[in-house]
Amino acid sequence: MGIKVLGVNHRTAPLEVRERFAHGAHEVPGALARVMAAGASGGVLLSTCNRTEFYLVADEERVTPVVWDLLGERLPGGTAAREYGYIARDRDAVRHLYRVSSGLDSMILGESQIQGQVRDAWEASRAQAGPVLHRLFQTALHVGARVRTETALGSGTASAASAAVAVAGKIFGDLAGRTALILGAGDMAELAATCLSDEGVQVSLVANRTHERARVIAERLGARALTLDEAWPHFATADIVLCSTAAPHAVVTWDRVGAVIGGRRGRPLCILDLAVPRDVDPAIAQIENVFLYDIDDLQTVAAQASVRRREEIPAAERIVEEETDVFWAWYGGLGVVPVIKEFRARMEALRAAEVERAMRHLGHLAPQDRARVEQLSQALLNKFLHQPTVALKAAAERGSGYGLLEALRRLFGL
Amino acid sequence: MILTLHLLALVLYGLATALTLAPFVGLRAPPRLLTIALPCAGAALHVVAVSQLTLVGVAPALSMLALCLVLLQLATERLVRGSAVGFFTGPLAAGLVGLALLIGLAPGAEPSAGRNVWLILHVALSVMGLALLALAFIAAALYLLQFRELKARRFGQVFQLFPPLERLDHLNRVALVAGFPALTLGVLLALGYAARFAGGLHVGKAQIVWGLFTWVVLGWATWVRVVRHWGGRRAAFASIAGFSAVLLVYLALKLAQPGAERFL
Repeated sequence: MGIKVLGVNHRTAPLEVRERFAHGAHEVPGALARVMAAGASGGVLLSTCNRTEFYLVADEERVTPVVWDLLGERLPGGTAAREYGYIARDRDAVRHLYRVSSGLDSMILGESQIQGQVRDAWEASRAQAGPVLHRLFQTALHVGARVRTETALGSGTASAASAAVAVAGKIFGDLAGRTALILGAGDMAELAATCLSDEGVQVSLVANRTHERARVIAERLGARALTLDEAWPHFATADIVLCSTAAPHAVVTWDRVGAVIGGRRGRPLCILDLAVPRDVDPAIAQIENVFLYDIDDLQTVAAQASVRRREEIPAAERIVEEETDVFWAWYGGLGVVPVIKEFRARMEALRAAEVERAMRHLGHLAPQDRARVEQLSQALLNKFLHQPTVALKAAAERGSGYGLLEALRRLFGL
Repeated sequence: MILTLHLLALVLYGLATALTLAPFVGLRAPPRLLTIALPCAGAALHVVAVSQLTLVGVAPALSMLALCLVLLQLATERLVRGSAVGFFTGPLAAGLVGLALLIGLAPGAEPSAGRNVWLILHVALSVMGLALLALAFIAAALYLLQFRELKARRFGQVFQLFPPLERLDHLNRVALVAGFPALTLGVLLALGYAARFAGGLHVGKAQIVWGLFTWVVLGWATWVRVVRHWGGRRAAFASIAGFSAVLLVYLALKLAQPGAERFL
């Protein structure tokens, strides 16, 4: 058993693949249950628009095929998920999560949204995480917070939401007085809508599958709430459409809005699709004055703003390394005490059994001599066990006790 | 003195152009103040130089056209809030000053006061009209490039450095709507000047026919913008067609009747 991370991210898989791997909150328990059934003793599934990662405490040989199968089922034509994936083990897996939570592994360097996503993943997998992953995710949030407070990795506005404003600004110039229609009532939509609103955009309509949720967001933004079906005619008048629904397929299709957009008489329409899977049929972008951008596009724009943040990478990496050492020391020490106890108990039982067997042949010995033999065997055992015990404890403190423990377990059948 | 001032202006325009284009070759973008100060200094020297010229012939006209372009570039810095227009006007102005120097610039005799007013108005309006049409062309070209990048979802230097689409569209409209009447008035003043001071119009049939053709194309481009409310790509193509007509006809006429003594 060891800590593993298996997954895909924005570096290893394109958006088309990542959106297939994305797991909604309701899908997480089922997916983890399958992996746990394969022998994992703990699991957390982190699924964002940029990554889908299984953090597991498990034997690699048993769980790896299950994870790749589970992801592969979401790909068409029998494509193997493994082609897009990666595995990190033990200390590397810990470091990986710390880098993820601190924004070092994000497409937008230092973006802070991932911190909340790590927390959400931990919360959603709480029942299946187990003590090691609980500790790992708890410390990952601490590492993210440390990196943000001790370095300038999170400085500036290099988020997808601020990139949405930048892209709209390149089309319209001044955004003041423009009107925006929001599809979807998730956090991302609200964040981007707030950014647009700060630039003077009038967020006039919020449409969602459920009217009630749309009403809550609309009230916050001073807009009017609609259902999705009521929203399509407004594509004729809005300047900016911001999409971030949780729909599993495109909701803005040619059939629904093609004719409506045709009636704009050439006025530009900026559609910002922040959803994964995407909400907007890519064919919509073929209309002359429609400018359609998905999350990858916005993240590319935002990534350009992160040049200054790059200078903070060494400081952030140092924090990640320090915290990885601390966790690994804890993890290494986690199993040492019970294993040493068991090891010593096993040796003591052997010693006692052997002394008793010897004493049966040494009945002529005086009680003082019997006591001396007993003392001798005890002293020998202590001498034999001293060095391995000290070495194990020291290795555990250094964070490298895990390998020694495994060796001890195998050698002595513990 | 005229040559020295032109040379200094040329150097300053060249430097400003190099600085403006620096980000496209991977260099750090210069401070905005510098990209404004250099053409400003060049234009100041250029104004002094032009004030000493007689505005007759190709070389002075080219020099004045370059000056107008630089002045418009500085004016548009405020309108589009960026130095992207300088990507085109900078090299164009530097090239025109260089060409004027090659053709030869020299102070000439002043015409009489009455003729001088006609001449100055004619030259000023014609050259400003041409410069505005060039600016409309530049705004249209920048629009089409930025449009292409935005549609193709490329976020490189063009996306970063070029102004927003709607500002370019607005600049194109303003330049075209101001440039066409200015050029028309300049040509009408030339006709009046010829009738009053030169004893009639001494131009060939080809010049009249092609001149009218150019005027019609430019008029059409302005008409579709103002009356038909064209915007965006269609309007950009119309502007490009208009300015291309001016350039092609000018080059064709100069090739057919070479000579540095007159601009047209």
